[in-house]
Amino acid sequence: MAANGPHTASSTRLVHSFAALATGGLLSLMVLCNAEVTRNAGPLLGSLVPHATGTLAAGLALALLARRGRGLEAPSWAYLGGLSGAVTVMLSSMAANTALALSGTLALGLVGQAAFGLAADRWGLLGLPRRRPTVRDLAALTLILGGSTILIFGAPA
Amino acid sequence: MTLAIGMAVLAGALIGLSRQVNGRLSLAKGALGASFWNHLVGSLALGTATLLLALAGTRPDLSGLAETPAYAWAGGTLGVVFVAAGSWLVARIGATMTALLVIAGQMVSGAMIDTLCHGAEGAPLRATGVLVILAGVALASQR
Repeated sequence: MAANGPHTASSTRLVHSFAALATGGLLSLMVLCNAEVTRNAGPLLGSLVPHATGTLAAGLALALLARRGRGLEAPSWAYLGGLSGAVTVMLSSMAANTALALSGTLALGLVGQAAFGLAADRWGLLGLPRRRPTVRDLAALTLILGGSTILIFGAPA
Repeated sequence: MTLAIGMAVLAGALIGLSRQVNGRLSLAKGALGASFWNHLVGSLALGTATLLLALAGTRPDLSGLAETPAYAWAGGTLGVVFVAAGSWLVARIGATMTALLVIAGQMVSGAMIDTLCHGAEGAPLRATGVLVILAGVALASQR
């Protein structure tokens, strides 16, 4: 399953970093939009509406840009990523309404994401390649999570 | 409290899980295809839940939907790009780096939005947090 070639050039690495940073920025805007739907119409529609409009947008984009299958088969469970996403929305809005509040929920969510990422890379979970974290990776992890903690708990109420 | 902590950590882990699953699907269907299936399956699940709740007597607040400002409807389209980009990245730089760099982008852009909306209050602390995160990003980007 060598679907990704040898991406070792540092320029490629920079492209990936910028793409990931931009993706995170997109997430901030997305959360802003979806929170506004939730505020007006409740959490279920707040998740259903972006999922339904997203299906239309993705279907349209596929129809316009489609390159058909790449000859690789996907196991049937690989189609179920959306279930996990739908549950995430409900879990995090429930946790945010406890004593944890939004800041605690966000911070613990980062811990969950980092822990899952390390485990997924370590064991090559769900059919993606195994990777061992380097000392540099772990230092980056500490800085990014540390800075995030400052932002989450340092925000003026 | 333990339950709440468990739910919050699980919510984070599920973000990683769905990215990993979509990343696997993207190897066969492309990143955009994975994003399409993610949204279709999510829609079907949430649509079923909405329908069952309505049958049980809890109607969805459709009038609230009419009052939702137009810009907020863009969330779904942003989500398509978000999921496609995550699927593309996780297959290339791995789950840990994808999670960390996306978190960094989210945090830094969130701090910028906060500063635009709420002005200078708390800005020195925000700047400190952003600098620490960017140091981490610089470290992660060197290979």
